[in-house]
Amino acid sequence: MTKETEYAIEVERLTKRYGELLAVNDISFTVRKGEVFAFLGPNGAGKTTTVEVIETIRTPTAGKVSLLGMDVTKRKRDIVPRIGVLPQGFSSFDRITVRETIQYYSRLFSCRNSDVDGLIELVNLKDKTKEQYKDLSGGLKQRLGIAIALVNDPEVVFLDEPTTGLDPRARREVWQVLLGLKNKGKTVFLTTHYMEEAELLADTVAIISRGKIIAMGSPVELIESNANDLVLTLISVDEKVFQVVRKIGFEPVHDNHRNIKVRLEHTDDVQKILNAIKEGGASFLGLDVRRPNLEEVFLKLTGETLHEDPTGERGME
Amino acid sequence: MNLHVVGANIVVSIKSFYRDKTVVFFRIAFPVILILVFGTIFMERDNEIFDLDVQDLDQTNSSAEIAKAIGLSGRFKITQVAPAVNAAQYAKDNKRNLVLIIPKGCEDSLMHRMGLDDPNAFVSLTAIHDPSSFGVTTKMQVLNMVLAGMNQKMSGKPPFIKLAETSILSKKYRFIEFFVPGIIAMAVMTASLFGAVNVNAELRQKGVIRKLSTTPITRTDWILSNVLYQFILAVMSTIVMLLVSYGVFKVSLEINAWLLVFVALDVFAFVGLGMILTRFAKEAESAAAAADALMFPMMFLSGTFFPVEMMPEFLQKFAKILPLYYVNEGLRASMVSVDNMAALRDAAVIGIFAAVVFVLGMTITTLSEEAT
Repeated sequence: MTKETEYAIEVERLTKRYGELLAVNDISFTVRKGEVFAFLGPNGAGKTTTVEVIETIRTPTAGKVSLLGMDVTKRKRDIVPRIGVLPQGFSSFDRITVRETIQYYSRLFSCRNSDVDGLIELVNLKDKTKEQYKDLSGGLKQRLGIAIALVNDPEVVFLDEPTTGLDPRARREVWQVLLGLKNKGKTVFLTTHYMEEAELLADTVAIISRGKIIAMGSPVELIESNANDLVLTLISVDEKVFQVVRKIGFEPVHDNHRNIKVRLEHTDDVQKILNAIKEGGASFLGLDVRRPNLEEVFLKLTGETLHEDPTGERGME
Repeated sequence: MNLHVVGANIVVSIKSFYRDKTVVFFRIAFPVILILVFGTIFMERDNEIFDLDVQDLDQTNSSAEIAKAIGLSGRFKITQVAPAVNAAQYAKDNKRNLVLIIPKGCEDSLMHRMGLDDPNAFVSLTAIHDPSSFGVTTKMQVLNMVLAGMNQKMSGKPPFIKLAETSILSKKYRFIEFFVPGIIAMAVMTASLFGAVNVNAELRQKGVIRKLSTTPITRTDWILSNVLYQFILAVMSTIVMLLVSYGVFKVSLEINAWLLVFVALDVFAFVGLGMILTRFAKEAESAAAAADALMFPMMFLSGTFFPVEMMPEFLQKFAKILPLYYVNEGLRASMVSVDNMAALRDAAVIGIFAAVVFVLGMTITTLSEEAT
């Protein structure tokens, strides 16, 4: 029997192990119907494992997970027709066209009246209907994946890393599609390691690190409660900059090979740092001072950055 | 089981098939090419006319008559080699695998035998041959037969012992009729094995199976649709092979329900084997390598290209544990010798094997990510 609840997803003390590896460690959260919920965390944090348990693909080691009021370990047959999934690293049949692929998945869901043209329009693939999957760019493939996730008009849509590996333009195109879903009132469970994505699309963000949820709330709440400081970003390849900033009592962090980030309590601190750099004979190419975002929240909570692994490698999440 | 889903899968598989020219080539054209090549090589072998180089060192009417008589047998086309030439060198230089030398004194010996009735008079022809050459043995056997016939005629008496041949087959069959059933069995095996490996390992590696596991498709739907797809292609490929064999070589093969039975069992057996392989070798490449390792011994040792009886005894015993052997034998029993009992025995063996591996493969195949 299905339990009527205001929540689309209820996760209670979920743990998932792969042998010795503890991928998800005793996490609990709920997702309200109609909300966009983002699971934000770096590669290997446990996002995909969590989402795959909820999608009924994996079985939990411990804990209870309900989807639309149904236990995911017992009601797979009832759950699957009511959800749509874009899995991580989505792929389809190479030599099947866009239209044929959508029609194929419609038939798997026995949706005789699927609005194939509507879906094609929704993901903006009208000009590509006759293109085979193998000939599509990464962004177009992801958009097709989203269309497929919607063929059964699902109540809950899971999008696992929908923009990973895409160039900025393709990423923005996918975001447009996701904003469309949000406007249609779909419950969307999004996993991402792009903070802009979570900030732009999500009503609620759960930050996950090493299998644990370390913070949860709306993007505004998370920023206000965790990162009131200003963030100074110094663009520099001069290693002396890092040392000078540290010497005068701040805690700089390398964001990537040329960005150094420093959290500041007062605007005066900016001038203090610039003077110290000048006196120390160090140089920088540019600077940026701004209010913090989810990335800074993550940095503050974990001491790590959310950036994609430059090698593109992914561990078991 | 949802027939709607099974149908959708078959449609996608067939579209993927005909849009991939490489797969079409290996699935349809390659077995046909094999039939054309081997069929041509072995065509009319029984009545083949061999080239024979003859060096007449005697240069007499009698020696010329011997050379002429060999040519008149209808089995050899004679080329004369000049007496001054070194016959061995000539054979090497001109890539001849057999040069026959009629020695000096041939006519004298003939006179002694025929005129003076000297039973000790004889002429010894020398056959210079290249033992590494394929087919020289057959050529020498035919030459010996021709010479034996000539000796018989010269004796002036009819042969005492004669051999009357009675075939156990209703018709006389050629190599191509032996070969075509073997190629059908091999082509269906290869396609089914690699089809299963491709579907279960490559699609899993690419992430397509992960996506499918989030849809209502069940393991039964998935496996059934793949087996049906393989069967449809196997039937298509068999029809093409038979049409080419009939059209080009005018083969005389019996087409009956057994053909369909053996094609179906071939598909089930090797799709099952493919599913088992991909369960233990998860990477597509390692599964394909494992399929190769299974396929090649079967191709060459199961009697696809030549009869198992030609192999040493221990290999013959080995052949009988290979499943393809029973498909080959069964197809030949039904298509060539039309021996229903033999076909039934072979069908039973391959049927039991197919049932075991298919059920095992089906049990361990999963669309779930949990088992990966």
